[in-house]
Amino acid sequence: MSKGSKERSARARQIVAEQKAAERRRTVTLWTSVAVVLILFVAGLFGYTVLSGQDDGKVTTPSVAVDEGTAFATGTGPVTVDVYEDFICPTCRNFETATGPTLKRLASDGKITLRFHPVAILDDYSNGTQYSTRSAAASAAAAEEGKFIEFHDVLYANQPPEGSSGLSDAKMIELAATVGLTSDTFKNAVNEGTYKAWAAQATETFSQRGFNGTPTITVDGQVVTGPDKTVPNTALITETIEKAAG
Amino acid sequence: METTRQIRMTVAWPWISTAARLVLAAVWLVAGSLKIGDLAASARAVHAYDLMSYDTAKIVGAVQPFLEIALGLLLLIGLATRLTGAISAALMAIFIAGIVSAWARGLRIDCGCFSSGGDLGVGESTAYSVDILRDLAFLALSGILVWRPRTRFSLDGVLMGKQ
Repeated sequence: MSKGSKERSARARQIVAEQKAAERRRTVTLWTSVAVVLILFVAGLFGYTVLSGQDDGKVTTPSVAVDEGTAFATGTGPVTVDVYEDFICPTCRNFETATGPTLKRLASDGKITLRFHPVAILDDYSNGTQYSTRSAAASAAAAEEGKFIEFHDVLYANQPPEGSSGLSDAKMIELAATVGLTSDTFKNAVNEGTYKAWAAQATETFSQRGFNGTPTITVDGQVVTGPDKTVPNTALITETIEKAAG
Repeated sequence: METTRQIRMTVAWPWISTAARLVLAAVWLVAGSLKIGDLAASARAVHAYDLMSYDTAKIVGAVQPFLEIALGLLLLIGLATRLTGAISAALMAIFIAGIVSAWARGLRIDCGCFSSGGDLGVGESTAYSVDILRDLAFLALSGILVWRPRTRFSLDGVLMGKQ
């Protein structure tokens, strides 16, 4: 073989090798892509399955709850005022301080039916202790003992800050005692988290109704907000109630 | 003729891409794992954008954290890097569009990018511009992977052999 043809055959081998390498890259790219798509599909499907499995929890709904078992009512007036609150939400506490007394007076005067909906959307703000869920569940237990409002008020009066560990179950039981709520039924329900699944379901209903934040206040089903989607003040709410009453 | 500069970049690119791949993997793993523990909260975060019904938001909110973690793991091992980079880019583009639309509509929400998000309280302020800039940076990292998918320490590299 001449020197020239040797060089040519070396060059040819190199070209073949390069083609083989390119072919291999294409094959690898194809199959790894197929694998990736499959893996992502399975991961998504897994999430969906976990979601479907979550709805099977056994829910104990408090017998006194109204409005699809999500609320506790006081007063029997013609206008219905619904208040959706999370017990750790500072804005809710401000609302309770500012407008709570007026609403309760209107309820006891027979002007409105006041319905409180405890929801748990801020579980992330209590150091993993899920205070939102625990407090909402405890309020359901208090409602069963006919002490919802009293317990609700004492929880807001002692509201833990967002980012703290919230109030412990023992502390909630202690506070309940200060408003005359001392039954073993209540204590057991708090300690065993009897109404936790209920709290999750009530929160789900809240979302299904298209609400996102707390406090959400509705008068005869219509959401009331102040300017720029803020929490309405007492004047605006009473005005809306008067209009609804006709 | 390649200049010295070009040769230097040829050597540098796989390392730049590797860094992009690993950072992006960490982003997805963190984002996904922060949501996976509370799927109801994840659903509420999606719902807060007010772009779909709650029932749809529930499915998106449940699927998303699992997808994010899977994508993070795939980037970590470096499998089909160009494709996972492209999917990352597409997801980032969707997130940015979502934040822009929330901003444009005057919604006051937490983007829920690295948390369960939701509505903001009265004292809290939105951080849309920061969220968008951050997601744009992640989009750029994804872009690098689409453009230069060859990286070090990747399963792709092992499967394809020395290049």
